[in-house]
Amino acid sequence: MAPWMSSGLIYASGLALTAGSITLLYIVTRTFNFAVASMATIGFYTVYTGVTLYGGLPYQYYPLVFIVGAISGFICYYGLNRQLLRRKAAEITLMMSTLGYDLVLLSMIQMYTDYLTHTYKLFPRRVTMSLFDFELFGDRAAAFILPAIAIGFIMILHFFLTKTKFGIAMRATIENPILAGASGINSDLVYLISWIISGGMAALGGSFMAMAMTGTPVMGMYTIPLMFAGAILGGLGSIYGGILGGLVIGLTEYAGVFLLSQRFGPWVLGYRMGIPLFIMAATLLVFPRGLSGIPLTKYIKNLVGQKRGVNV
Amino acid sequence: MLKVNNLNSGYGKLQVLYDLSIDVPTKGLTVVVGPNGAGKTTLLCSIMNIANVFSGDIIFDGEPLAGVVTHKLAQKGISYVPQMGNVFAELTVLDNLHMAGYMLSKSEANDKAEQMTEIFPVLKKFIHRLAGTLSGGERRMLAIAMGLMKNPKLMLLDELSTDLAPIIAERVMTEVARMRDDLGITILMVEQMAKRALEIGDTAYLLVSGEVRYTGKADHLLHEPELCSMYLGIKESPKKDQAFELSVSDEGSEDH
Repeated sequence: MAPWMSSGLIYASGLALTAGSITLLYIVTRTFNFAVASMATIGFYTVYTGVTLYGGLPYQYYPLVFIVGAISGFICYYGLNRQLLRRKAAEITLMMSTLGYDLVLLSMIQMYTDYLTHTYKLFPRRVTMSLFDFELFGDRAAAFILPAIAIGFIMILHFFLTKTKFGIAMRATIENPILAGASGINSDLVYLISWIISGGMAALGGSFMAMAMTGTPVMGMYTIPLMFAGAILGGLGSIYGGILGGLVIGLTEYAGVFLLSQRFGPWVLGYRMGIPLFIMAATLLVFPRGLSGIPLTKYIKNLVGQKRGVNV
Repeated sequence: MLKVNNLNSGYGKLQVLYDLSIDVPTKGLTVVVGPNGAGKTTLLCSIMNIANVFSGDIIFDGEPLAGVVTHKLAQKGISYVPQMGNVFAELTVLDNLHMAGYMLSKSEANDKAEQMTEIFPVLKKFIHRLAGTLSGGERRMLAIAMGLMKNPKLMLLDELSTDLAPIIAERVMTEVARMRDDLGITILMVEQMAKRALEIGDTAYLLVSGEVRYTGKADHLLHEPELCSMYLGIKESPKKDQAFELSVSDEGSEDH
């Protein structure tokens, strides 16, 4: 696998989870969660702390990463979002409150990195997590393992949302909170679980992305425009759309940088973020409702109809 | 079964209901009628703790409902069928029924869903179809079935006939009367199809600008020409012995 492709797959897997995390919270609570940036960074530092202090491979810490992210989501919901939702706060207030929470988390991350430096003599402010990886089929193991984990996670999420009683209740609440409440579904619990899953996804996504980029206390802040670009590209109406949007944004960033730098030179690297944002803008011009708004079924039916010579 | 005393409620700071008192007797069909904007839906939303209650008491089975969250009200046996958005369009009919019976165990919910498809055979045909693909009448039947899934003591029905063709609306009204007669369910129904609702109802309240203007037997309200013509669009018919005939102009029905 070409280096850009393996890095792109790793990065895109992480971005897909963070974009999915943003979308999940938006459709459930109408909250754009800016704290996803620091939640992602927390995920990275959880793995970093594990491998540097306790040894082993990064992958073995992913369950812990999810739990830590879930706790940060839990705190944000109970400490902030729930209070504002109860007071029927406007969407802009909900959004800005997560920005405040993100800044609190960012300060705590900064303090934590200082603590690691002073206490353990580590250098946590610029970390290359790929050094902790191993080789698989002649390539970085993360290029195979992380997309597989991301796909596995999405499958579990899909099973949860479509086959379990609580998952269906979550979908019901997303669609019609008043009717869900009248049906006896505790929407408060649904929101809480959404924050927990979303926090876990963001942290997991951040820990994945750190395997392809330099891990720093502000890595989440640096990549948050792309996380949101993924969610917006996905259409903000479907979790799967958000995940797909993140995947497209992540892959196009790496593919675009590689192809354009080959053609125009290395100066393109300085504008790497512009490539996926351009892709997002172009896609939205053609499909204003994002990827989840593309009537794929209709296209497939048309295609099948044309092949059979039938106009469907 | 349900008593509302001196209720003042609304949305945010906007007050819609003023000192409203109603009494919903057990196993009866209580009808609340009134012009648009009278506060009929707000009354149901206040009972379900969706609207803001500023003052007054709502007592169900002797227990005050103040501050009880909506999903707990469902657990207490109050079933609410909203006017709009009364089914989960993106879930199948079966999932809708199961969600409506969320508090039931899996086997109970399955049995109850089976029972609902017997009461409303139209649902059996579409059990695995998305509710959003059903026609207006089928959706309304599903909404009523969802309301019944919880084994409710009290059903709050909000303008079930809205947007339905007259023949379908009539069928829905017949089902409502059947729920009271055959299943013995207490019903509080808010309705714009006033004449038919008053015909099948036991007790009626006429709500105007958030205040009660009439309380009494449902069919007696049909014999109040001033109230009927002024607030319900029901005009006196010169042709028949019956005092009044329906002319609900804003629902597109024809005068007889």
